[in-house]
Amino acid sequence: MAAVGVDSGVMQSTGDAIKSRLEHGASIRPAGQWSLVWRRLRRHKLAMAGLVVFASIVLLSLVAQWIAPYGYEEMDLRNTYAPVLAAGAEGKPLHLLGTDGLGRDLLSRLLYAGRISLGVALVVTLASTLLGALIGAVAGALGGAGDSILMRLTDVMLTLPFLPMVLVLSSSLRQYARLQEFLGSNLSVVIIILVLLLFGWMGTARLVRGSVLTLRGQDFVAASQALGASRWRIIVRHLIPNSLAPIIVAATLGFGATIVAESALSFLGFGIMPPVPTWGNMLNEARNSPLEYLFTQALSPGLCIFFTVLAINFIGDGLRDALDPRLKM
Amino acid sequence: MTAYIVRRLGQSLVLLFFISALIYVVINLVPGGPFDLLRLNNPRITQSMIDRLNRLLDLDKPLLPGEYCPLEGGTPQPCRFDQGRYVRWMGRVLRGDFGNSWTMQTGVPVLKMIGQRLGYTLLMTGLALVLALVIAVPIGIYSAVKQYSGADYLVTAFAFFGQSMPTFWTGLMAVAIFAVALQWFPTGGVRTIGSEGDIVEALGRLITFGKLHPELSGQEWKLIGDGLRHLALPVTILAFFNLAAWSRYTRASMLEVLRQDYMRTARAKGLSEKIVILKHGLRNALIPLITILALAIPGLIGGAIITETIFSWPGMGLMTINAIANADWPVVQGLLLIQAFLVVFSNLLSDVLYAVVDPRIQYA
Repeated sequence: MAAVGVDSGVMQSTGDAIKSRLEHGASIRPAGQWSLVWRRLRRHKLAMAGLVVFASIVLLSLVAQWIAPYGYEEMDLRNTYAPVLAAGAEGKPLHLLGTDGLGRDLLSRLLYAGRISLGVALVVTLASTLLGALIGAVAGALGGAGDSILMRLTDVMLTLPFLPMVLVLSSSLRQYARLQEFLGSNLSVVIIILVLLLFGWMGTARLVRGSVLTLRGQDFVAASQALGASRWRIIVRHLIPNSLAPIIVAATLGFGATIVAESALSFLGFGIMPPVPTWGNMLNEARNSPLEYLFTQALSPGLCIFFTVLAINFIGDGLRDALDPRLKM
Repeated sequence: MTAYIVRRLGQSLVLLFFISALIYVVINLVPGGPFDLLRLNNPRITQSMIDRLNRLLDLDKPLLPGEYCPLEGGTPQPCRFDQGRYVRWMGRVLRGDFGNSWTMQTGVPVLKMIGQRLGYTLLMTGLALVLALVIAVPIGIYSAVKQYSGADYLVTAFAFFGQSMPTFWTGLMAVAIFAVALQWFPTGGVRTIGSEGDIVEALGRLITFGKLHPELSGQEWKLIGDGLRHLALPVTILAFFNLAAWSRYTRASMLEVLRQDYMRTARAKGLSEKIVILKHGLRNALIPLITILALAIPGLIGGAIITETIFSWPGMGLMTINAIANADWPVVQGLLLIQAFLVVFSNLLSDVLYAVVDPRIQYA
């Protein structure tokens, strides 16, 4: 009894200490995994710079309809291929970055294009990460024949030549009359999302399967089983957080790769079709413009792709270091 | 070792079987067949003409083995078993016949079309590979040896920049700056308009000691010079993109080697730093590069779709995109199958070579 009294006394005084510290505004909880990650990420200067650049690009695209001086389809056929800082038509704002072959304001198109390019990449990355995680987790959990089948399927998809296959699929899917009726002008956007999703899940699937297989045999999993943790608790508290790090890094870098892939397809004329602007199909239009205008037409959409992808690569690199301090390159 | 190779070969064959089926089915699932475009462009083409075309090209047969009910002159005929288009195609492919082109060069065998373009692609991708390796390996080694120095950060930054610049943009900018504004190089193509022959034909003549293209005698070097001027931009663009990834890769590989015990042993023996790095370090650091070389094979032969498109370089990549745009199915099927074969083969090759070169690798 006495022992209990002492114990509760200690508890009491610790409780007081906590209370007094809380009153002074300091956190007493040990730093969680995520706040540690954030702390490490904040020290990574390039990742922070990347984050700022990426956040500004996202923000600018989100508010495109309020800040864009022109609509993305607004043409002025008397003012085509206008240079940087060209005057607009009477009573109209300046063309800060000039105009394209149909006299459309380049800056406004870039802002709207960012919305499509980033949106498509976001949807594709989220969906393919989820799909890959599902397939990988199922394969790892099933083992045996189910695992073999799923992993051979992954091999097949990885072996198919990516760019030609995606070109074939997007050009043939476009010919489905049923899809055309159903989707109308969104057709090319939906097709790109589907096709990139189809070819985007394999990396995550392999990652997740691998980490499920290694984690299953780890001591800390056995330890929490011995402590009576339920299977659900083990999955949520141990398996998911421990396999999350490589997935987050892969998804971040995958987001950048998806932007490049969508731009490449749109550049080749097999992706998102005009009048919907994306950075890729703006480059396609630049390529088809007279050679003397190629530089001004291609510079800004390309810089948008470059800065976005560079920022994401820096963020991904920072996340890799922050999420796994053991893995120091 | 032999058992390992045999097992891997077996697995690769099974993998290729599934891939070939998938490629064939995906291409042939296009609704309305390849003649939808034809009818769209020419309203005078009737359904019966399209039926006849379909019968001519076997397109009325089932895709996979099954029942075939021919419709001759509009009257149904008794159904019979048919081996299916995929099996028939695969059978011909195994005998070396990839079929004939439909629309690009009607009636010309696919393999012959590939033969006409392979030289152009090999020349461009081969030069780009050599250029990238010659620059990437020394850069990677140097930045690993001087880890965390200013030069190392510069290389790392350069690699990040290079990997974030897609070829379709760098290619366009190179054309705008070096071909249009400065006029140092042509904007695209293989040869100056009006010249007889081109660099690939001239090289062919030199390699065969004049048996090929006798009409080009005496002009070989002029043509090669002209070709190199046309190659300068596309080769640089292609090399630049690989340079970034490969210098990072070499650096990582060298850093790994520098940590090894045998490096310390070499220094402890009193060897000079130069010999330690070049003889003990570099040689071991180059082993992982075998993987890069083996995995570069598919791109070397399959070409670079984007770069070839930008510079109108008449190689395999431009052929691929034109075949897709023109719905030339036999050509697309052939190119995709060859490409898939090369990917499987180069994966196998890189694993086997790695095991041969590095005896520490355990294969089972």
